[in-house]
Amino acid sequence: MLNLILKDILIQKNILIIYIATIILYLMVNVSSVFIVFIYSIVFVLSAFSNDEKDNANILLNSLPYTRKEIVSSKYIGTLIFTGFFMFYTYLFDFLLNGKEVAVLWKEILLIMGLVMIVISFILPISYKFKTKYLTIFMMVSFAIYLVMVKSFFPNFNNLVKTVVQNFMTVQELQLYLIITLLIVLLYIGSWMLSIRIYERKAF
Amino acid sequence: MENVIELQHIQKSFNGFQIRDLSINVKKGFVTGFIGGNGAGKSTTIKMIMNLLQQDSGTISIFGKSYKKHEKEIKERIGFVYDENIFYENITLKDMKMIIKPAYKKWDDKKFQYYVEQFELPLNKNMKTFSKGMKMKASLAIALAHHAELIIMDEPTSGLDPIFRRELLNILHELMQDEDKTIFFSTHITTDLDRIADYITFIHNGQHIFTKEFYKIEEEYAIVKGTLDLLDCETEREFIALRKTNRGFEALTANKHRVATIFGDTVVVEKPTLEDIMYYTKKGW
Repeated sequence: MLNLILKDILIQKNILIIYIATIILYLMVNVSSVFIVFIYSIVFVLSAFSNDEKDNANILLNSLPYTRKEIVSSKYIGTLIFTGFFMFYTYLFDFLLNGKEVAVLWKEILLIMGLVMIVISFILPISYKFKTKYLTIFMMVSFAIYLVMVKSFFPNFNNLVKTVVQNFMTVQELQLYLIITLLIVLLYIGSWMLSIRIYERKAF
Repeated sequence: MENVIELQHIQKSFNGFQIRDLSINVKKGFVTGFIGGNGAGKSTTIKMIMNLLQQDSGTISIFGKSYKKHEKEIKERIGFVYDENIFYENITLKDMKMIIKPAYKKWDDKKFQYYVEQFELPLNKNMKTFSKGMKMKASLAIALAHHAELIIMDEPTSGLDPIFRRELLNILHELMQDEDKTIFFSTHITTDLDRIADYITFIHNGQHIFTKEFYKIEEEYAIVKGTLDLLDCETEREFIALRKTNRGFEALTANKHRVATIFGDTVVVEKPTLEDIMYYTKKGW
């Protein structure tokens, strides 16, 4: 299993330097580190996924002594590890470059992990079921829906998000955090199981 | 004799294509050539043997075990060579080795190095610069480096030049000195099989036609040539298929001796090639 996670890094090693360099660039122009880690984690996982798809690697992986359960699980576990890695790296450089104190760190970690887990929970089963090229269509459609919704129903959507995030960061009730965490974990596990079911029935 | 691969009553249908009641056994310690025309179901069968596709019904056992319970154990002992590219294109063979090596318990670095040198493969060039033959050799080096007992190849020689093909056959020949190894490979270049195959398994339209020892095919099958006046309803039944021209007929029989007693010296009986058998079977089906 660990080999499969390492594989996702190895196949991207040529562009790893680009990831690292652009993160530093973003930090220098003061982009929020929550946003950076969130985007990079998703991009990293999806890029590894599309590499497997593009190069027929699914045939290779399934011919090697791995079970399909392991292949899918490596993506879900890998997502958490990669997010952790990007988080560590971004906060480290944020501290070095901008000298930011990292006082409310655990809430930010929770926020990033939560966001990444929610998005991945939706993306992976769709990607396993259809090809990733359909995913771009799916994203475009949801973006369009998002725009229409924002325009017609919540003109202040972006501010709303900001307030929600700010509230989230300031709420003191531990119980709320626990419930949200639990819900996200349940969603993630559900998506994980669903992906395994989809992948096990797949033909290569 | 022990069977390494056993397919029993396999049914599989998809995309307007069907495999019907396919039962195949592959014997341990031999080379079995798997032949059939385009679209006969060779690749589908191989994919089912590799568990890349699941059959609708029927059972598949490899080394006497089923994939349901022993997937990793089985794949640990199989080496595979596919017709299509399965490597990540933007990394080197060295990286590819780093990805594949930890998957196998019995990986042997020295052996891998030995074959990489023998096949003259560049370790530090991207896989996308590899020619088809080089990719095939890389697959083979990987298969041999983990001491696979069963080597499964889907059209390994297609698209390769004659020199490459002969090299491959020599390697396989050398490999078969070890009595525990088994090779199962599909091809439609039937001359490859003359040099190496012990058994021939022939499928057509998703159905198993025969599995026979190579030398027995020559004993049983024959191409019969004669004049048209020898043919009538009764004698035509002796043939799998026949082709009539103005000058006479040419036909394939699966019972050389019977034909010899019926027609005697009035016909010419010739040794069939595998291609003859494939051609007439397709016509007669």
